[in-house]
Amino acid sequence: MSRIRTTGSAIALLLALVVLAFAFTGCGSGSKPAPTGGTYKIGAVLSTSNQSAPLGQPEQNALLLLEKQINAKGGINGNKVKFIIEDDASDPASATVAINKLITQDKVLAVIGSSSTGATLAMVPTAEKDKVTLVCCAAGTKITDPVNPYIFRTPPTDSMALTKVLEYLKNNLKVTKVAVLHDANAFGTGGADELVAKAPSYGITVVSRQQYNSTDTDMTAQLTKIQQANPQALVVWGTNPGPSSIAKNMQTLGMKIPYIGSHGIANQSFISLAGPAANGVVFPGGRLLIPSTIPAGSPWATAVADFSKAYQAEYNAPINSFAAHGYDAGNIILDAIKTAGADPAAIRDQVEKTKDFAGVDGVYTYTTKDHNGLTTNDLIMIKIDNGKWVEAK
Amino acid sequence: MQGDSRQKVILAATAVFVVAVLAVTLILKGSIGMQWILSGIVVGSIYTLVAMGFSIIYSSTRAINLAQGEFTMVGGMLMYTFTVQAKLPLWVGFLLAVLIVMILGAVFERAAIHPLKNPNMITIIIITIGFSIALRAAAKWIWGSNPVPARAFTGLAKSGKEIPVKIFGASLSPQSLWIVGLAALAVILVFIFFNKTMLGKGMRAAAENRDAASLVGVSYSTTSLIAWTMAAGLGAAAGAVIGPIQAAVFDVGTMLGLKGFAAAILGGLGSTQGAVAGGLILGILESVVAGGFSSGYKDALAFLILILVLLIRPEGLLGKPEAVKV
Amino acid sequence: MAAADKPDLLKSRTVPELTSGMRMYLIVAALILTVPLWARFIPGDVIHMDITNVMVLAGIYSCAVVGLNLLIGYAGQVSLGHSAFMGIGAYSVAILCTTFKWFPTWLGIIVGVLLSGVIGLLVGVPVLRLKGHYLALATLGLGEIAFILFRQMIDLTKGTVGITSIPPLSMFGFQFNSDLKQYYLVWVIVLLLLLFTINIVRSRVGRSLRALHSSEVAADAMGVNTARYKTYVFVLSAMFAGLAGALFALRQLYVNPESFTLTLSILLVTMVVVGGMGNLYGGIVGAIVLTFLPEVIKALPSFEKFNNYNLVLYGLLLIVFMIFWPRGIAYGLERGADLTSRGARHLHDRYRSRRIEGHSKDERDE
Repeated sequence: MSRIRTTGSAIALLLALVVLAFAFTGCGSGSKPAPTGGTYKIGAVLSTSNQSAPLGQPEQNALLLLEKQINAKGGINGNKVKFIIEDDASDPASATVAINKLITQDKVLAVIGSSSTGATLAMVPTAEKDKVTLVCCAAGTKITDPVNPYIFRTPPTDSMALTKVLEYLKNNLKVTKVAVLHDANAFGTGGADELVAKAPSYGITVVSRQQYNSTDTDMTAQLTKIQQANPQALVVWGTNPGPSSIAKNMQTLGMKIPYIGSHGIANQSFISLAGPAANGVVFPGGRLLIPSTIPAGSPWATAVADFSKAYQAEYNAPINSFAAHGYDAGNIILDAIKTAGADPAAIRDQVEKTKDFAGVDGVYTYTTKDHNGLTTNDLIMIKIDNGKWVEAK
Repeated sequence: MQGDSRQKVILAATAVFVVAVLAVTLILKGSIGMQWILSGIVVGSIYTLVAMGFSIIYSSTRAINLAQGEFTMVGGMLMYTFTVQAKLPLWVGFLLAVLIVMILGAVFERAAIHPLKNPNMITIIIITIGFSIALRAAAKWIWGSNPVPARAFTGLAKSGKEIPVKIFGASLSPQSLWIVGLAALAVILVFIFFNKTMLGKGMRAAAENRDAASLVGVSYSTTSLIAWTMAAGLGAAAGAVIGPIQAAVFDVGTMLGLKGFAAAILGGLGSTQGAVAGGLILGILESVVAGGFSSGYKDALAFLILILVLLIRPEGLLGKPEAVKV
Repeated sequence: MAAADKPDLLKSRTVPELTSGMRMYLIVAALILTVPLWARFIPGDVIHMDITNVMVLAGIYSCAVVGLNLLIGYAGQVSLGHSAFMGIGAYSVAILCTTFKWFPTWLGIIVGVLLSGVIGLLVGVPVLRLKGHYLALATLGLGEIAFILFRQMIDLTKGTVGITSIPPLSMFGFQFNSDLKQYYLVWVIVLLLLLFTINIVRSRVGRSLRALHSSEVAADAMGVNTARYKTYVFVLSAMFAGLAGALFALRQLYVNPESFTLTLSILLVTMVVVGGMGNLYGGIVGAIVLTFLPEVIKALPSFEKFNNYNLVLYGLLLIVFMIFWPRGIAYGLERGADLTSRGARHLHDRYRSRRIEGHSKDERDE
């Protein structure tokens, strides 16, 4: 029996099956999500495991707290609220599977997430295709630049943090020569690129640019190279544990120039890892980290105080920026649902109309051209003094 | 013999190369070069400790354990639990961490390696990969995803700040001395064990020829168990000491394991002196490349060396030739 | 009864008798191609996953795993660096189709596949001279170097930031931009690759591979050009992986280096091991099982309490399978199918023998 003949008939059968299958299933898209009686379902794809877990877990905590609070008040328009939270394990491929499942199987009205830029970018095509609003908790500038009608964000962008840093360097430290040491990952590289591009407009020259890997033990080689270029300040752009090693290395080498970090070290972890070497380090962070810098009595200050108290009571831990990102994302969507109801298209329009919404991270205003919501005013420069955060002057 | 003279040539060439690198670095860069070299020696000592773990298991059982880095990681994590969370004295925490990981290594050996009948090396490699994955996930579950702080052993001023140690114009953190010291101690102890004690020599014999060794009373099964326990303990000791310099976190073992492995291959699997040579050379080269050229490609160095060694002389600088190619 | 005569009548026509191998293939193909037909009827909130969607990803992995299975299972050479080839395929498509808007996506796939093959050849020739675990370790090193290159060659690959806005595959105006279309695209490709593999295994190449798997020295002595065959299979598996990578890019529409690390290489090898090394369908079984595993676990009710269990499970799976079931799941399935068909045949024979007088049983052989 000729193998070619059997192969040929196999291929013919295959093609027949394919055509048949197409005929049966058609090329139509999935059905539209319909509101399930009595409950508003909102999806969330967060990195609650693997490397971005320090970001995803507080975000998840915040959403669960919000769900409890809203339902205790009777829900929205009489309907209960449910956040269906998926873990993308800090992996873009898993994020796409998760968001698809939320939209097609759970039929959610909107999606929050993800915690990291890579996973968020992977979800954008799905959100766009299925016309579902995605409010992300990641800071990568690329996500909302250029503006995508369905993609919004709650955290201050990396650009805003960088602008604060440059302003501080120019106005407070009055330096003209800085060096930058950044993590090789997307966050670090993106920040360094922008710093180098924008510095000249602040009258600052970047005299040395070095990178390190998150897995590196020791950054003295890079630091000694930087020392040679004689900068007046060092900008370190990365997430833990790199920046804390750098702080300790600088101390060992006896480097006295100011250390300006990124918002990636706006957490207690940096202080506990770097120990006494953390003192003197300055970084940009949300005003919520030092509530006294928020205009007293304003809706924003009230929001921060209330959230702080509730979070502490529920989880026995202080709030941080990430919890705020998640809480605000949830709140903005719920606020939009109040007016728009269970209609994803209307929800999108309503979210875009958000104006002067007092969240925890700041006061949000979205427009057709700006899906970031916050401005640099919602950030301050923070200095670590004796293991505590104070406003940097 | 031809093999011997080829090894002499390669050794000589490597030695010349390393000396040249050191000389050029010092001449061109002066005290900064010295900083790079000394930092490189510290990092190299860490690689040496990891490489020795690989060597011990290989020289006793011909197995390659790709979970060696994870032993170091667990050691670091346990050190955090005992000395930072429970605030136990440093030496107590150290001993406990090493002991627990040794038990872990022994249990794994008995459960997953011992039952295999005549396994081929690929099977063992894949099994150890599975073990490393499970250890990482368990560490994430127990200690979370954040890096954990560590207590420096000595060298702290009243304020808690580290007092740098100055050597030849370069500054090192005091913990570095502990790391280099531990590596040196480990090298000496392991060398004495495998070359001067009956048990050690018997273990090496068992690796070469199981049946002959058991005829003279050296049981391969015992050899395997001891080797794994030692390697686990050594890995944990390394992890416990490097904490203040490299914060322990669930995935810190991956890169350490891979680089330590590259160092072991460079020096020659199964040779203690090889682990030292490989570790130090890799550490210094990495530091010089990061300082002198690009910090981004520095990691590629370890893997490039790995591949080159495997292609040119798979038994490394100081290892004994084996049938490695077909 | 007349029924007993019918089979003989049919036999006399010129219908090609399907060999058991072909039968198996068609059954598998039919099973796979009909999944979307019934998957949509399973209520989503019961199983908490979208089967068709997850199967697309499983199919993409299958492309790579079918090739890797040939390398590991049949030729006995282990590669711990195949993520590099998936990356090459993915980045080829990503770079060409975003830098040059007019570049056809299908051509991007072809470029990716060819490039993977070329690089597979260049690195394979020196590295394949190494034996067993040394080869595995060398490929591990190569995979890591590939990752570092993806990350550092920023001008080309945009580094860790990644490449966005990759257009979906389109051929003659037809866009593969939905789960359903991608499902059929990917799985038809897998089935064609499988057919190709089956032909290879049955041919002289396959026999040579099996010879060299059992003993390279013996095979060499018998005149089998082991080096050539090893390289051939290595390059083939590299190209399959490149194809998988290209499809991955055209599905996710975004690539970054983090997707192509040692973790991916290990995942691919795990799929081969768990599915069944050396079994033709093993790769596909392994890919499907391991792609669905995290989703299944997430769907279990007790999920909330225990994070990261799926990784512990996955590590343990690897260990357990290597120790107890090195032939993998597919071998088990095959044995099961074998036993079932033997059982069926046995019953059939006993039925026939009661009907037809005078026929001796030994005419009906297994």
